[in-house]
Amino acid sequence: MLHMELGDIPIFSMLKSRLGYLSDRQRVIAENIANANTPKYQAQDLKPFSFQSHMQGAQGSSAASSVAATPAGVMAVTNPAHMQPKGSKAGVVMRKSPDSEKTLDGNGVVLEDEMVKLTDARMDYDAAITFYQKSLGMLRTAIRKPGAGA
Amino acid sequence: MANDTSITSTTQTIAVSALRAQQSRMRIIAENIANANSTSKTAGGDPYRRQAPVFRTTPVAGGAGKGVKMERAVPDKAPFNSAYDPGNPSADATGYVKTPNVDPLIEAMDMRDAQRAYEANLNVIEAARAMDQRTLDILKR
Repeated sequence: MLHMELGDIPIFSMLKSRLGYLSDRQRVIAENIANANTPKYQAQDLKPFSFQSHMQGAQGSSAASSVAATPAGVMAVTNPAHMQPKGSKAGVVMRKSPDSEKTLDGNGVVLEDEMVKLTDARMDYDAAITFYQKSLGMLRTAIRKPGAGA
Repeated sequence: MANDTSITSTTQTIAVSALRAQQSRMRIIAENIANANSTSKTAGGDPYRRQAPVFRTTPVAGGAGKGVKMERAVPDKAPFNSAYDPGNPSADATGYVKTPNVDPLIEAMDMRDAQRAYEANLNVIEAARAMDQRTLDILKR
């Protein structure tokens, strides 16, 4: 029996990993902001997400099956750049902050930068969600009975 | 809360840990300001010594996120000030009173810093909530 899930459609699986990436990024930014007064703490960020790298991974040998085989609530790793939301810090990169912004106790978090990044992540997330909804709308259009009207 | 696996709730747990830490810091600052003029009970004794909060990264949400906590408050080792006030019960034999090493200006700046950090963390919670809301919006039509 042919079994097809929403996640098997490339655009949906891409948007899914994009949303997962942005949630992760938001968590990392939250960590930075929370530790804005912690001595010796350095701001961290994720490697930039690219659909290109995702596509290359998806075209690989067992990528599609690994997406399908992933249990619910766990993000599929179809590309080495992907990261799991819990624990693993593979995608986190240490970012060096300019010396002028480092405080005497060695903290390198610039609150303003982090707020900008937070807004960025939120807007990107909004965009991805809108994309997701539009794609769902297209699917609905395709399912609709011909001549049934809009 | 410890077993909560949702990513955004991890974000919120991180921000909440920071809110608590900043609040503890505010408490220390309040103690410092309140005791800016507290001299010793005994003649020639040491007055109130300024406390300084120490923050430390701490795992939250079952290790999924790096939150923060106020680990301890350490006494400021800066020397006390002294003032000539022979009538004061705390004055020593020469008539000098040791006054606390609290600088109200430093405390005021620290308070602003704590307030700013607190607001930033509130913004994080708001952003996390908005993102959750957007995700739930998929369910609508």
